[in-house]
Amino acid sequence: MMLRATALSLALLMVSTSVRAADWEVSLDTRLVNSDADRPFMDAGLGTVRFGRNDSGLQLGRARLALTQQLGELWSAHLDVSAWDNKDRSPVGATEAYLQFRPYPRAGYRFRLKAGAFYPPVSLENRAPGWESPYGLSYSAIDSWLAVEVRTIGMEAQLEWLGTRSGHLFDLGVTGGVFGWNEGAGVVLANDGFSLTDRQTPVFGRVGQPGVAPLLGAEPFLQLDHHAGVYAGVEARYLDRVVVRVLRYDNRADPTQIDNVSNAIAWDTTFTSAGVRVEGDNGWTVIAQWLDGKTTIAPPGLQLSWPFRAEYALLSRRLGRHTLSARYDRFQVDSGSLAQGGGWQDGHAWTAAYTFNASVHWRFTLEWLRVLSSSYNRQDLGGPLLATETQLQLAIRYAFGSAIR
Amino acid sequence: MRPPARLFRTKAIAGLTSGALLVFAALGAAGPAMGATLVINVQTSDGHALAGAVITVRPLDGAPRKPAAMHAVMDQVDRAFEPDLLVVPVGSTVEFPNSDSVSHQIYSFSPARRFQLPLYRGKPYPPVHFEQTGVVTLGCNIHDDMLAYLVVTDAPYFGRTNQSGGWSADVPRGRYHVVIWHPRLRDNAADLERELTVGDTDRADLTLRLAKALEPAPLTGRPHSWDY
Repeated sequence: MMLRATALSLALLMVSTSVRAADWEVSLDTRLVNSDADRPFMDAGLGTVRFGRNDSGLQLGRARLALTQQLGELWSAHLDVSAWDNKDRSPVGATEAYLQFRPYPRAGYRFRLKAGAFYPPVSLENRAPGWESPYGLSYSAIDSWLAVEVRTIGMEAQLEWLGTRSGHLFDLGVTGGVFGWNEGAGVVLANDGFSLTDRQTPVFGRVGQPGVAPLLGAEPFLQLDHHAGVYAGVEARYLDRVVVRVLRYDNRADPTQIDNVSNAIAWDTTFTSAGVRVEGDNGWTVIAQWLDGKTTIAPPGLQLSWPFRAEYALLSRRLGRHTLSARYDRFQVDSGSLAQGGGWQDGHAWTAAYTFNASVHWRFTLEWLRVLSSSYNRQDLGGPLLATETQLQLAIRYAFGSAIR
Repeated sequence: MRPPARLFRTKAIAGLTSGALLVFAALGAAGPAMGATLVINVQTSDGHALAGAVITVRPLDGAPRKPAAMHAVMDQVDRAFEPDLLVVPVGSTVEFPNSDSVSHQIYSFSPARRFQLPLYRGKPYPPVHFEQTGVVTLGCNIHDDMLAYLVVTDAPYFGRTNQSGGWSADVPRGRYHVVIWHPRLRDNAADLERELTVGDTDRADLTLRLAKALEPAPLTGRPHSWDY
């Protein structure tokens, strides 16, 4: 009896110790939406924003649970789980889940290793917890595409020279990643084109409605051959004010591969991204990102490529608890072979957002987003070639947990 | 009648002509036989007071005198070092408590003192000894925006300039070597050292005007949870 009580209290002590050591965060983001857009990609439409005209009213923006657990001194585990309620078939999914190894810097150099599922280091805008943008609700076209289709499911190593910790003005870093299960990346871009959304596809999640065109419930997180994808990037920083990032990504998919059961196709996708973020005194932030790539499929008797390109510039000013941001996006997907089923999309977008951080728990955001686009695929499915879509959202977000302060 | 104040010129004029550092040391009237007050003022290149500059003063005459070791505290508050700069005599110990609810992992790879220290919430750690002079740059392996400095000195007189850019100490008469340091200085180290004689006066003044603008200050108000 005594032994059992001791064992129980020991177990309770261990549980309470480990719970105490974990940082956790829960947030609920609700939206009041007014939109005149076409049905969004999750609802089998070709709308370029997250909510269509049928979604006007009260919506769930995101419900999120994040856990970070230290495992000894140098390892930590991170789990980010969210529900989006965008006609999702699986209501809850993990957007990121990884182990991280962070040894202490030695002689000015620091090495870091990540293993699991996470975003490659491209975005300079989505820097808040949960890969959210602190500058508004909808991500840029570039970062929306990454949210929908791209994830590292594998390992990433980073080596940094910490110049700012040894009397210099700069830090420099190189990053390399090896990954699998991202051979579906490109399917949404080719079928739907770019969109401006904040809905992140959970790892191994599907996009769109199964069996319903154009996406047919596409699966970005597929592995059909034995090739690992790779990426390599460099990063430079000037003090804590300027970050420059360049990354080359190649999922090294064999475009001739088809899954015999699901008929899913491997999308051979490569891209180069570059970006700069400048932060100045008085809360000013300027971000510019550029992405240029191509996705290719080559099932028997067919070879189709969709070059794609997007860029944006963002200007933001933080004034105490208020943040005002404006962003201009341009995007383009092209395929020269319409006869074989290729298509194109061309568009640009304006975003204006105001955020009021009432406290560490409450945040209110008002965002206006207008996307002007022309889309061959939209016309091909009976819609207009040219469309102007406007989405107005008011977000009320409440967050709590040990990681909130 | 008091003798007129005379301009102390060592590198002062050289500094003026080369555009480096302006040094004006005015030695006042005769004072008590035992010593005088040394007053140092530091100005930025555009003439504003530089608060928080580290001043170390070593006598050039007589037997070297070492400052007494002390015990100092550098806390972690709201994901920042508090204070973010400490000057301690060589041989001192510094305690690094953690008043945050999150863990920190502080480190230094500066040659003057290499160490690493995990700071879990509410758990005390033994203080760290600093046996070698120099600047120790501190960071946190978890929170990249955390940055602090420890200046370990063997100078018997040291301190930091106040909001008006001034610092003073009572010193015996003699010749002194004055060194100025600040984390954001861009002037050459050689231009930040001066020699000064405290003679038959009750007060010796030294004004240092930097030749180059300071590096930008760390950004403030940015949420710590954002990617650095």
